[in-house]
Amino acid sequence: MTMRPARLSHALAASALVLVLPLAGCAGTDAPADDDGSASSSAPAPSGASPTEDAGAATTPPAASGTRIEVQVTGGQSSGDTGRVPVAAGEQVTLAITSDAADEVHVHGYDLTADLVPGTPAEITFDATIPGVFEVELHEAGTVLLTLQVS
Amino acid sequence: MTLLAHGVGSRTDLPIPIGFALYGAGAAILASFAVLLLFWRAPHLGGADSGRPLPTGLQRVLDSAGLRRGLQAVALLVTAFVVLAALGGPAETSRNLGPWVLFVTFWVGIVPASLLLGPVWRVANPLRLLHRLLRPLGPAAPGAHPLPALGLWPAAGSLLVFVWLELVYPHRSEPITVAVFVLAYAAVHLALAQWFGEGWFAAGDGFEAYSTLIARLSPWGRRSDGRLVVRNPLATAMATPAQPGLAALVMVLLGSTAFDGLTRTVWWQTGPGSANDWFSGTVGLLLSIGLVAGLYVLGTRLSGRLAGQDRAVQPGRYAATVIPIALGYTVAHYFSLLVLDGQTTWILLSNPFGTDGVDLFGTYGNRVDLTAVGADVIALVQVGAIITGHVVGVVLAHERALLSARRARASDQLPLVLVMVVFTLGGLGLLFGF
Repeated sequence: MTMRPARLSHALAASALVLVLPLAGCAGTDAPADDDGSASSSAPAPSGASPTEDAGAATTPPAASGTRIEVQVTGGQSSGDTGRVPVAAGEQVTLAITSDAADEVHVHGYDLTADLVPGTPAEITFDATIPGVFEVELHEAGTVLLTLQVS
Repeated sequence: MTLLAHGVGSRTDLPIPIGFALYGAGAAILASFAVLLLFWRAPHLGGADSGRPLPTGLQRVLDSAGLRRGLQAVALLVTAFVVLAALGGPAETSRNLGPWVLFVTFWVGIVPASLLLGPVWRVANPLRLLHRLLRPLGPAAPGAHPLPALGLWPAAGSLLVFVWLELVYPHRSEPITVAVFVLAYAAVHLALAQWFGEGWFAAGDGFEAYSTLIARLSPWGRRSDGRLVVRNPLATAMATPAQPGLAALVMVLLGSTAFDGLTRTVWWQTGPGSANDWFSGTVGLLLSIGLVAGLYVLGTRLSGRLAGQDRAVQPGRYAATVIPIALGYTVAHYFSLLVLDGQTTWILLSNPFGTDGVDLFGTYGNRVDLTAVGADVIALVQVGAIITGHVVGVVLAHERALLSARRARASDQLPLVLVMVVFTLGGLGLLFGF
């Protein structure tokens, strides 16, 4: 009877190892160089520089490697690059929103806003350095234009 | 303001990598059969009488009325302060303390607090203090008689109302909603406690019942002779009293968390939930809870039928074995919310009323660091929580079967174990985003 708890704890420990090992291996293969979580993804970094240099370089060359996301809002309906839009972490992203009504566009998480003037495209350019899923939303209308998936 | 699935939040988690989902699924299935076939054949987790008692002096302090009233008074002051901040602070959700305290710090934080310290909200529930002050004003609990028969059904209803507010109600994140909800919650439960007596809080206060439920997996327990003990959390979970409505309470938690995960998937956002209104949300929430409850009742009844047990008692008998699975879902879905967006509470605390120039703790200018925990760590915690919850659930169910019948065959337990595997694969699927 006294043997049982000992046997159980061994068995539990063994099964815990079995469970953890493949997961750990998976984490290793998924992100070989997770320095900062900022620029470690499979982004096609053309200059192949370190994250700090990359951030500096991102402002100088005009959106050559960046992603441009365009959305039109007409009569409360959005069209263009809506839905879930995947973006590689570290990439430069330009959001171009054209609306027929005055509003304010808000990129959650990054907490960036821009005023929308009817008929005039508003642009927000930023480096997508925070991984996660973020909504891009119209403040006044409350509609979600798209969700940005940075990974 | 924000239309994210949860009450508040600036982000949601990335889908877990496919490798995580597949390894997790394989591990869950493997562990299930290992438990059934390789592990013990006689019940041996300690029962309600096991555990190492705490020193009597320490127990006297912990059980003292003074400590409880003190903690309840502190909780009451904090609650009143948060309601005032919700009403008098900035109107924007992102700058108002109320929604962040209710939906993140309190609702999510109650889980680690109860898991580490035991049933904290039962001890610190400010409504209990208010009830003691109001009690002499009316007749002494005229309706206390039917309370034991109701069991935890009132708490399940109370939590259903809250998760609807949190996940469905379109204006959930507005500060005024938070203030009105907290005041209405207090008024309703104080009135019900006046009718049912102080026993109402354990049976009907959803937050207290939630804290008590999670505390079933904490290292602290109470022996049947009343002594506070340190013991294996699995023994404490096993000793959960089989109250009516326990299964309903667990299913509300599991189903609502599953619905929260569902609303984050592209499928939901572009399909059934694209209208993003209260109707699609209400139907989705109720269907999610109904689906997990239906599967659970089916699994336990089939297992009971194979084992020759009374089928009607089966769902209640195994309810406590699903608590770890519900906890695994909760950790998987709300871990990142607490550690990332949860920082907002501590930032806004420096200036709760949005007054110019006020910065009490020097944190008001800080920004939430959304990279404090990397995407890989979040995914690992998510899959780890789901799988750990599954393994503990299967172990508890196996032990429960052995307690019910000494010679319980492994094959009799298969239907319930398969349902648990479905819960776990479903949970991983929601994290993967299908």
